[in-house]
Amino acid sequence: MTDRRTIGAPRLRREDYRLVTGQGRYLDDISIAGCLHAHFVRSPHAHARIRSIDIAAAQQAEGVAAIVGGRELAEWTTPLRMAPLIEGLRPVGFDTLPIDKVRFVGDPVLCIVATDRYLAEDAADLVAIDYEVLAAVADLDQAFAPGAALVDDELPDNLISQQSATVGDPGRYFAEGAMIVEASFRQQRQTHAPIETRGCCAIWDQGRRHLTMHIGNQVPHPYRTQLARRLKLSESQVTVISPDIGGGFGQKIALYREELTVAALARELKRPVRWREDRAENLIAASHAREDVVRTRVSVDGEGRILALELDIREDFGAYCFYPANYLARVVAMILSGPYRLSNYAYDIKVVLTNKCGNGPMRAPMAITSWVMDGTIEAIARKLSLDPIAVRRTNMLRATDLPYQMPTGLTLEDVTPSETLDRALEAFGIAEFRARQQADRARGIFRGVGLCCVVESTTYGSAFYKAAGIPGSGHESGWVKIEPSGAVNASVGLMASGQGYETTFAQVVADPLGVDPDDVQIHIGNTDTAPYGMGSRGARGGTAGGSVLLIASEALRDKVLTIATTLLGLNTSGELRLNNRRIERRLAGAWTDAGLSLADIAHVAYLDPLRLPVGMEPGLEAHRAYDPPPMTFSNATHICEVVVDVATGKVNLERYIVVEDCGTVLNPLIVRGQQQGAIAMGISGALLEEVVYDEHAQNRSGSFADYLLATAVEIPPIEVISQHTPNQKTPTGSKGMSEGGVMGATGALPSAVNDALAPFGVVAEAQPLSPMYIRSLLRSV
Amino acid sequence: MKPARFAYDAPATLEGVLRSLAAAGDGAKVIAGGQSLAPMLNMRLARPDRLIDINAVGELGEIALDGNWLSIGALVRHDALARTALVQQHCPLLAHAAATIGHYAIRKRGTIGGSLAHADPAAQLPLVALALDAEMDLRSTRGSRIVAARDFFLSVFSTVLDSDELLVRVRIPRSSAGEGFGFRLFNQRAGDFALVAVAATLARGPDNRVARLRLAIGGIGPVPARVEHLAASETGEPFSEQWSARVAAAIADAVKIEENERAPVAFRKELVVALMREALDEALDRAGRGS
Amino acid sequence: MSALDPVPLLLNINGATRRLFAEPRRLLSDVLREDCGLTGLHVGCEHGVCGACTILLDGAPARACLMYAVQAQGHEITTIEAFDAGGELSVVQQALHEEHGLQCGFCTPGIVVTMEAWLAEHPDPTETEIRDALSGNLCRCTGYHNIVAAIVKAAARRREGRAT
Repeated sequence: MTDRRTIGAPRLRREDYRLVTGQGRYLDDISIAGCLHAHFVRSPHAHARIRSIDIAAAQQAEGVAAIVGGRELAEWTTPLRMAPLIEGLRPVGFDTLPIDKVRFVGDPVLCIVATDRYLAEDAADLVAIDYEVLAAVADLDQAFAPGAALVDDELPDNLISQQSATVGDPGRYFAEGAMIVEASFRQQRQTHAPIETRGCCAIWDQGRRHLTMHIGNQVPHPYRTQLARRLKLSESQVTVISPDIGGGFGQKIALYREELTVAALARELKRPVRWREDRAENLIAASHAREDVVRTRVSVDGEGRILALELDIREDFGAYCFYPANYLARVVAMILSGPYRLSNYAYDIKVVLTNKCGNGPMRAPMAITSWVMDGTIEAIARKLSLDPIAVRRTNMLRATDLPYQMPTGLTLEDVTPSETLDRALEAFGIAEFRARQQADRARGIFRGVGLCCVVESTTYGSAFYKAAGIPGSGHESGWVKIEPSGAVNASVGLMASGQGYETTFAQVVADPLGVDPDDVQIHIGNTDTAPYGMGSRGARGGTAGGSVLLIASEALRDKVLTIATTLLGLNTSGELRLNNRRIERRLAGAWTDAGLSLADIAHVAYLDPLRLPVGMEPGLEAHRAYDPPPMTFSNATHICEVVVDVATGKVNLERYIVVEDCGTVLNPLIVRGQQQGAIAMGISGALLEEVVYDEHAQNRSGSFADYLLATAVEIPPIEVISQHTPNQKTPTGSKGMSEGGVMGATGALPSAVNDALAPFGVVAEAQPLSPMYIRSLLRSV
Repeated sequence: MKPARFAYDAPATLEGVLRSLAAAGDGAKVIAGGQSLAPMLNMRLARPDRLIDINAVGELGEIALDGNWLSIGALVRHDALARTALVQQHCPLLAHAAATIGHYAIRKRGTIGGSLAHADPAAQLPLVALALDAEMDLRSTRGSRIVAARDFFLSVFSTVLDSDELLVRVRIPRSSAGEGFGFRLFNQRAGDFALVAVAATLARGPDNRVARLRLAIGGIGPVPARVEHLAASETGEPFSEQWSARVAAAIADAVKIEENERAPVAFRKELVVALMREALDEALDRAGRGS
Repeated sequence: MSALDPVPLLLNINGATRRLFAEPRRLLSDVLREDCGLTGLHVGCEHGVCGACTILLDGAPARACLMYAVQAQGHEITTIEAFDAGGELSVVQQALHEEHGLQCGFCTPGIVVTMEAWLAEHPDPTETEIRDALSGNLCRCTGYHNIVAAIVKAAARRREGRAT
């Protein structure tokens, strides 16, 4: 039985010392002698055939070592094939660099390698590419239009994925005479915008025929697998090393074409080659996210109880599929009902290609979910003139309903939506707020409360992927080693981009071993030393990684105690424990020092193995793998207060509270920080961010002056109130978290705006909730 | 994003700067704070052959009273404009507006000369220079000339400055006794350029009407505009609780607002109404307090 | 020799003089990071918005990506590396650590440098003033809440003349 001493402690972070003093080692901080610099020439057109390329002048430019394009890369690498056997998903593939045509503004066409980036950009000025401009598909409607230009010439139209399902008998409830409510939601195109852009450095060792790829990547092992395959190398010929990462949020997972090009060039030139994406490239050509048009239709009874729900999602996926195009929207459909009861459910999802940068998962790919579900409930309340809180309660799961099987088959257990709703309303002071709201309305000040009840899917075990028909595993691997001196090393197949793994996982490993977390060093990001894991995504780090490390650490603890038993001449280890780096024995009810330290045990295990129990292997290493439950769920209620300036449309967010339940918490400081960061990203998206493409599919959001990230002025203080209902099915009791905050803010902000503007009878159905949009709603009244 | 090559010069005297400018023809750009120019250079949107750095020319950094004028050297930083007592006292609108520019680090480097010469249609200082009837001192090896703010700004990022001319000084009439100012800008996010900005100065006349009204709006066209004449009858009305609102509505109706990508005309018109009304109320309040 | 060629530069960085050659167009951020090995400042945008590259120029915060190294001659440059002199974290650094005011850390040096300078000029700020001062540094990880708490703490300690 684990006596939890360090798990759950609010320890300050080990990572901080190097980061706060500027001694972090991010990719560009690593100096590689003789390294060349890559720079990409990109398409200025949204859709065009490449007629000819003239690099004669550029090749003569100072410092240029090579200029290559699609044809060269086709010889050195294999194309990407994105063709998992998923119903409704069309297989697609594309070359490493385009040969025939470009599909979005920013599509990389050539790679120039020179002695520095300045010279590479000078050479780029001398390149002449002749394009035949084609009609571009600039938005969802154009993608669906009959006779639309084809983004991918191998498909009959731009529909890349369609999936639908029906559970129960929704049709019955939409018959004549039913009370039907409809709602719609438009979420804008966004992009991850980590403060550190993408980049990499590839070193080819010709003597060993081995590639080392330095890259800040969230999933080093899967990345290595892909990289080796695309380069036609064996996996054992490739090492991926991730240094400190300046933010990932899902953008640093896929093997991008630029990175593959850089690696191929390093091998070809037999010189190290590095690449740094600038901010314009990052905003225009890295990876985009979201951009969904969603409609719901519900049949309800007189109290607002949902009898049946139909969901329609249309998603703009951009031009290239680095991920299966079905899977981001699919999660929304899978978990839509969230904290509410639903038996009769149908969904239809259509995902299309357009001439924009391709989409990928961005922190909370399912961000729109709770907005849609709670927004639908609020639409019901408006139509029936009921209190939206009451309608939530009418539909919400209670403790007695659990475990609850969602219509899509996932099981909800150990969640507390009603409890967090109650606590949130109380912490917010809803009654006092309503009085203030009323008084302020009389003075022409429009105050609103926003509410959003979130159930966040996390961790994603292998059984989930199997059931969803998605190839791949959800397991995680870890090892723990106690060295001869008693020092502890541990590793897991994740990679941090700010989550504090070096601190949290040291706490996990230290706990069963009775050592201080400072005695434990966590090693991550190097595929040669870390065990093969699925990496950091989908809020799985804490649960998948923490659990496997706990299992491995407990296994080592057991081995240590077994050795101690032998050394102490005892029959069983039952009365022994590890504490404070020493073995303790319970004698007459009290724990006393047994005269052996952990270091003593380690010394025997490595250097005096004949004293080990008969048949026991020398050494103290445990390597384990762990497959989490198909899904673990966290829940939270978000509540916020806004004032809308109706003259200008500006939304001022004054207060934000979240009551969250993410199960057992490994380090409450870090969990709180993750909640606040996720909420801030959701607020920023709800109010400010938008990747804008014009009618010619030209990207108008190529700088931080155009793509607006929230500053410390737009984000209010975020109060996090925590309650922790352990998940009964994970070793640590944790459930995963870190994306739910985005979901909650995405729903709470429009809810607040609608409440503020209720006197005007307008409803915000689109994001961002920009002043221009709010004024357009009010102007039409 | 790295700039194209340029030659670089950092003369220590004004004469040295002017000679460099004359020699360079059209190929040179002056760099002062760099907060507006450097991004354009880095993105290769501007590709001068030569950068002439004026930061070493000490005489361009002075602030002094010159009779009824406040004389401000081109190199005076936004932060200094905001915090220097002379400016706060004699051109409070300028000090106030300068404090709203960008962020702390930008204000420490950006200069009044740079901002005026850059002529961003949404920027605070061109708007305020126009509102305050500033006069620009331009110099070249050919001589010097004074250009009123009204005549200085031609279009987006474009002024009357010849390629060999340097804006060396801005002179602003000192605010008069009893005058109050108002300033409002609207942006979506702290520190961004304004979508619309309004500057107002006025005094209360003896007959309960406005005296010496000056009103300017930025962000509605390629250059900031003086607009008090557009609502002559409303502004001439005696003060009342509705005065500001009526003036604002009249001006919003009368003023020409050009299409731009950032925000539709209808929206910016509504901003003009809201901001102008608040700026006028603020100016009245300050004028009433005798500040 | 062309006027575009690299020129010799003498830079005063963190109290020491560095001699190097650089083309006039080389960004100060690149010269500090690559030629001087001072990789604590980070490049996030190269157009002056994110603040991750902030250094002090004669004690005042400046975005290193908006300056060319040639411009820095004759001035004192201070980078993040100067702040934990003598092995002790600065007041702002210590407070950020205690308040969990950083996650990935990429924006952090820019915040430390900016706020150390700002607090010297604004010793008793309100939270609103702190948020306004911070608005020139973008953070994508923390949501700013803990950074603000750290600056409040740092301001109080500075007033009391304490480091911790």
